Amino acid sequence: MALVAAERGVRRLTAVDDLAAGLGLYPGQKAADAGALAPGLITDEAAEDADRSALIQLGDWCARFSPAVAEDPPDGLFLDITGVAHLWGGEAALVEDLLDRLGKNGLRARAGVAGTPGASWALAHFGYDRTLVPTEGEAAALAPLPVASLRLTPAIAEQIARLGLVSVGQLGALPRAAITRRFGEEVVRRLDQALGLACEALTFRRPPSPWLARLTFAEPISAPEDLARVTADIAVALCARLESEGQGARRFELAFHRLDGQAPRRAIGLSLPAREAGRIARLFLPRLETVDPGFGIEVVTLTAHEVEPCLAQQQRLDEPLASEAALAPLVDHLSNRLGAGCVWRAEALPSHVPERAVARRPPLSKPAGGAWDPRKPRPLRLFRRPEPIDAVAPAPDDPPVFFRWRGGPHRIRRAEGPERIAEEWWRRPLEDADPAKVRDYYRVEDEAGARFWVFRAGPYTGAGHARWWLHGLFG
Amino acid sequence: MTYAELQVTTNYGFLRGASHPGELATGAKALGLAAIGIADRNTLAGVVRAWSKGREIGQTVFTGAQLDFADGAPSVLCYPTDREAWGRLTRLLTVGQRRALKGECHLTAGDLTAHGEGQLILVVPPTRLDKTFETALMRLAGEFEGRAWLVASRPYGARDLERLHELDVLARRAGTPMIATNDVLYHGPERRPLQDLLTCIREKCPITEAGLRLEANAERHLKSPAEMARLFAAWPDAITQTEQVARRIGFDLGQLKYEYPDEPVPPGKTAMQHLTDLAWAGAKWRYPEGATEKVEATLRHELGLIEELNYPNYFLTVHDIVAWARGQGILCQGRGSAANSVVCFCLGVTSVDPTKPHHDLLFARFISRERDEPPDIDVDFEHDRRELVMQYVYERYGRERAAICATVIHYRPRSAIRDVGKALGLTEDVTAVLANTVWGNWGDGLPDDHVRQAGLDPDSPAIRRATTLATELLGFPRHLSQHVGGFVLTRRRLDETVPIGNAAMKDRTFLEWDKDDIDALGLMKVDILALGMLTAIKKSMDLLGIADMADIPEDDAGVYTMLSSADSVGVFQVESRAQMSMLPRMKPRRFYDLVIEVAIVRPGPIQGDMVHPYLRRREGLEPVHFPSPAPEHGPADELEAVLGKTLGVPLFQEQAMRLAIEAAKFTPEEANGLRRAMATFRHYGDVGVYGEKFVGGMVARGYDPAFAQRCFRQIEGFGSYGFPESHAVSFAKLVYVSAWIKHHRPDVFCVALLNSQPMGFYQPAQLVRDAREHGVEVRAPDVMLSEWDCALEAAPVGSLEAAASDLRPVRLGLRQIRGLKRIEAERLVAARDMGARTLHDLAARAALSRQSLELLAEADALRSLNMDRRAGLWAVKGMAPEARAEIEAPLLSLMGPPVEGAIRLPAMPLPAHVAEDYRTTSLSLKAHPCAFFRTLLTDMGAVTAARLRDLKDGRRVAIGGLVLIRQRPGTAKGVVFVTLEDETGSANAVVWRDVFLANRRSVMASRFLVVHGRLQRAGEVIHVVAERFTDLSGRLFELKREGAAFAPPPRSPVPSLTRSRDFH
Repeated sequence: MALVAAERGVRRLTAVDDLAAGLGLYPGQKAADAGALAPGLITDEAAEDADRSALIQLGDWCARFSPAVAEDPPDGLFLDITGVAHLWGGEAALVEDLLDRLGKNGLRARAGVAGTPGASWALAHFGYDRTLVPTEGEAAALAPLPVASLRLTPAIAEQIARLGLVSVGQLGALPRAAITRRFGEEVVRRLDQALGLACEALTFRRPPSPWLARLTFAEPISAPEDLARVTADIAVALCARLESEGQGARRFELAFHRLDGQAPRRAIGLSLPAREAGRIARLFLPRLETVDPGFGIEVVTLTAHEVEPCLAQQQRLDEPLASEAALAPLVDHLSNRLGAGCVWRAEALPSHVPERAVARRPPLSKPAGGAWDPRKPRPLRLFRRPEPIDAVAPAPDDPPVFFRWRGGPHRIRRAEGPERIAEEWWRRPLEDADPAKVRDYYRVEDEAGARFWVFRAGPYTGAGHARWWLHGLFG
Repeated sequence: MTYAELQVTTNYGFLRGASHPGELATGAKALGLAAIGIADRNTLAGVVRAWSKGREIGQTVFTGAQLDFADGAPSVLCYPTDREAWGRLTRLLTVGQRRALKGECHLTAGDLTAHGEGQLILVVPPTRLDKTFETALMRLAGEFEGRAWLVASRPYGARDLERLHELDVLARRAGTPMIATNDVLYHGPERRPLQDLLTCIREKCPITEAGLRLEANAERHLKSPAEMARLFAAWPDAITQTEQVARRIGFDLGQLKYEYPDEPVPPGKTAMQHLTDLAWAGAKWRYPEGATEKVEATLRHELGLIEELNYPNYFLTVHDIVAWARGQGILCQGRGSAANSVVCFCLGVTSVDPTKPHHDLLFARFISRERDEPPDIDVDFEHDRRELVMQYVYERYGRERAAICATVIHYRPRSAIRDVGKALGLTEDVTAVLANTVWGNWGDGLPDDHVRQAGLDPDSPAIRRATTLATELLGFPRHLSQHVGGFVLTRRRLDETVPIGNAAMKDRTFLEWDKDDIDALGLMKVDILALGMLTAIKKSMDLLGIADMADIPEDDAGVYTMLSSADSVGVFQVESRAQMSMLPRMKPRRFYDLVIEVAIVRPGPIQGDMVHPYLRRREGLEPVHFPSPAPEHGPADELEAVLGKTLGVPLFQEQAMRLAIEAAKFTPEEANGLRRAMATFRHYGDVGVYGEKFVGGMVARGYDPAFAQRCFRQIEGFGSYGFPESHAVSFAKLVYVSAWIKHHRPDVFCVALLNSQPMGFYQPAQLVRDAREHGVEVRAPDVMLSEWDCALEAAPVGSLEAAASDLRPVRLGLRQIRGLKRIEAERLVAARDMGARTLHDLAARAALSRQSLELLAEADALRSLNMDRRAGLWAVKGMAPEARAEIEAPLLSLMGPPVEGAIRLPAMPLPAHVAEDYRTTSLSLKAHPCAFFRTLLTDMGAVTAARLRDLKDGRRVAIGGLVLIRQRPGTAKGVVFVTLEDETGSANAVVWRDVFLANRRSVMASRFLVVHGRLQRAGEVIHVVAERFTDLSGRLFELKREGAAFAPPPRSPVPSLTRSRDFH
């Protein structure tokens, strides 16, 4: 198994598992080469963003060991354990416990403990695992490590190695000025950072505050009008916060914490992110009737989910509401009443095959840009499955003169067509692709003025056994 | 009922049409169409192919173009009615193409008006018939009164009939009759999937997202007159109009009569007089002691033939170019059907004297009265000065009259599978794996076991679809590119014959037709080609003070002895592994043997199984026997004249053609068709037609069927790698000349080859090694001693080496240092000549960039300044900023470099030096990398390459070394040849198919390899027949190891120490 990502147009491995590494695959290898060497290789796209958020999650989890956690992308974490190690009975025990817990969760990790971030990084990456460096021992600990352990760019590390300066010790023995002249200040800075001669500031992470508002009552409440009032109050509280940070949310959840410890919840969804307290409270109203207050409610919380940026827009007085914004309350109302799947918009998709040319979309989603082509009339009502009909058609390319559908006879007065639509050959094995697999569609009108969309499967053969289908109704 | 289909797009309307022009012509014939009109969008690239196929099978093919306008004017199909109108159409397209980027064409309605005289136009209505279109149509109707039609089609859309009715009304109102077409994209409906794919490739989208960009159905194919009449039953006049148009097109491509440029003739003389004068003057120059009777007779005969066929201008034009090059001191050598004539020898076009004994070449055979085609001469020039010659041609004939022809870039297996895979939405990994599975040719689809080996299931619909469609796509034109050097020259404006467009390179233009098209129309073409070996020979001759290749002594026995022992590294043409194993068996002793040597190791003779019979006869193991027809069909010795020189075995393309005429009794037209088809076998299914005719013809006349079969297989082999005797002769001359230089002066040869890189089969490392093995001392590049080029140095006076031979030491040039810019190196040399003697001085005076200084240090080129690469790099890194500052403030340089305490850097071990040498200069004079692994190799049972010679045939051996070359010739049935090199020499391993398949990875990817197998010895040719492999590539990394406690894990476990050359 390996992960791959495109790097300047070339797909390269970004990570390999043990088995793949055993086959000689390595990160940085071209995916095509790797595939040739190990034909059974399973690959998946590397997801840098997901990796990053996983690292953040892990960092948050590490907060149990130290409140000061900093990410070191792509795959490292710094923990400042100054003054916390005694809680575990020393640094060694802390590291044991940390790595042990990570291991139990299936994460393999290496650790190094030192007085500076740079030295601990070097030890974790290039030293023996779980090395603890005594105070002031950084120089001695780093001396045998390769130059690359100083967090230098690969190009610079390689240049230094080319001079025969393989280890940090060899590099450190040289005059600083000589190094700076040749490789820039970065090398000396990294060296000094690792040895504690220069300080390094880490950006520590703190957990984000959730979007939550909370009301506590001195006296438990239970009257329906009280519930409505607190709903309005709490909505105002949360929405004020959303507004102050320029955010809006698509889902709100209201929880009534009862005296007996139960907490019935009610949620509403919105088609556009919103933060208008009055509207949100109104959407909750019909649902409050079903809330059983039990012996009384002492706390109410409101949480916002699917929070996204939502800029305040000033409406001009003389401007009509944008149709979308105007429709949103109606759509929300209908959706919250009828159920989410019952309100939709038909969207034209680019396909010749009629049943693939239309899709149901959320009512206020952005149209993808497909438009209905007036040269290709399509019925208002398209059947999910075409229904078989008995039809009579006299000559090639001529429409049927008569057909029987659901037992009823229809004599045709007017017709248009044929529109020949071939099947999408790439959806089935190539052997089955056949130019004769077409449908000839006709738009026909019967004597009663009803309009139908019928088609013959396959081209006219003259044999009279053509199969006809009804695919939709106009109007 | 007659009908002419006048709206046909071929696959030369790139990524639109899905049928070859020939298929469309053939399809039209089969359906009984009165005519078809080829009209690709803004191009005439495909018309010649359709037209010549039509001429062959008797189908009328009109040639025109669909003109699409950039300014929104409606598209029109444009058909010229006569030669002059054709000229206007090609000029129109030239104007549009010159205005746009390569491959595009920007036309405006005004352009059509300006070039509209004599054109018939068929206006193509847009999808929406609006007022704008009506206005435009009215305008065109007025401009082209009586010569404009309105196109109507039946694509089976929902409202076809309604639209036809509207068009009919519109046509009546505008007075432009409605004309029926089917807007054809392919010859048969079964091409729809391929056409859809082409759309996806063009639109760069996967098929699942192509949506409405695809056609809704498969109706856009050629339809029979009856079917078209049925579709237009309500508008019968639209069908009749096609006939009207057809009747009025009076132009046929055959009218493009060629006229030669007449510049080279001085006023007051006829071309023939001038050529005769030049030829006789040349004879005096070539034969200072007087020409022999035979020479004069031949010359007179040839001149007579040239006059009779009216080709003097052709020869004069070639002479003009060659004479100019000669005047500039640019070495050249002509080859081709007419090149090996006494005329060309006297004109200096070639250095091969065809009247020499053993040459035995006859001009008449190469220009024939029956074949009414212009003679063909290709001229090779030194590769680094060819550009000058091309510029001369442009200058002399002007860009209106000289242009390079196109090369059609066809879909090949890799490109086909890549594009098809992408269009079908396969992931990049799968496509890449599929594409990489293809080694070399891929005749009838991708073999299932290859797919399976790549880890994919050949039976899965997705894979099957991709491979099937990719196979169908093979041979489709992908785009036009500039031919390497095929010039077309005319007397009248060239853009009145063929459109000329911009090339990707600035200031380059090329015509839309390729060599085959030019041939089919009989236009004049001279190939001005670049040949690396000519550069090397010229450099050698300059060093040796030789003026002309003809001055090099012929029949030097030493040269032939050297070649017979396969000592041919660097020698033109015969340096490949296959040639090297052939040389000891051929044992060339005279010039003509080299001609055969050049031609025999080729797919044609190998596929025809002609090599072994020839060798057996040559070695006297088999009697020379000429196959003969049954007595009633002709004289028994009819083939003796054809095959005499090659001991009864057909080896050359000419002989195969002669066989077709003499033995299979092809008519001249058939023979011509065969010759043409040979070039295109790969793309069309014509093989069968000629194969039956050829074999049938020979067998009917009493020839042995097996022999006839073999001859035809050989013709097939010539298909894409045709090698005619006329070319082999010219090449053999270069073989001899380069071998002569190598034999007498390996030092000169080495310098010349290195200075002409990149060229040839071997890397500089092998050329240097070969020179050293021939006693040449090679010295490393050095800032104080090297020029940009490699050079000969004076041998130390009085030294033993100087006494022993006249070879001089070779000093490698700074050009060997990878990445070093020539301009900086030259500034460095100049600064040195001005007296710079220290690194600081050099850097400052030559204004060297930091990067160049580092490159010099890393290449260990500072030794004469007493610095090894580490000390050098340290110094360079320390000084670069100051050196730069001094350019701005020269005064500072007086103060010298800043003083800095001495630093002791760790000494670099020898293996690391060697690895660094390879990295920076691709070779090392210090040691061979394998030497450091000798203990390891010995432990693994490997012997040195040198030891192989002493071992017995059939013995089990192992041999280890760097992989130099991997080859898998298409003719060798899946066998892979691997050449390894160790510190004692190189060795060849043969990997049979089964072993290869089982060890694919080691064979294909390794750089340092041990081959275990059995020794096979045939005369002096030694191979190891591989049985298993040990891949040591990972160990190469140890060269750089310096004993640090913690080596960082390498990013790439295989360092790129060497690059093998892989030929698939």
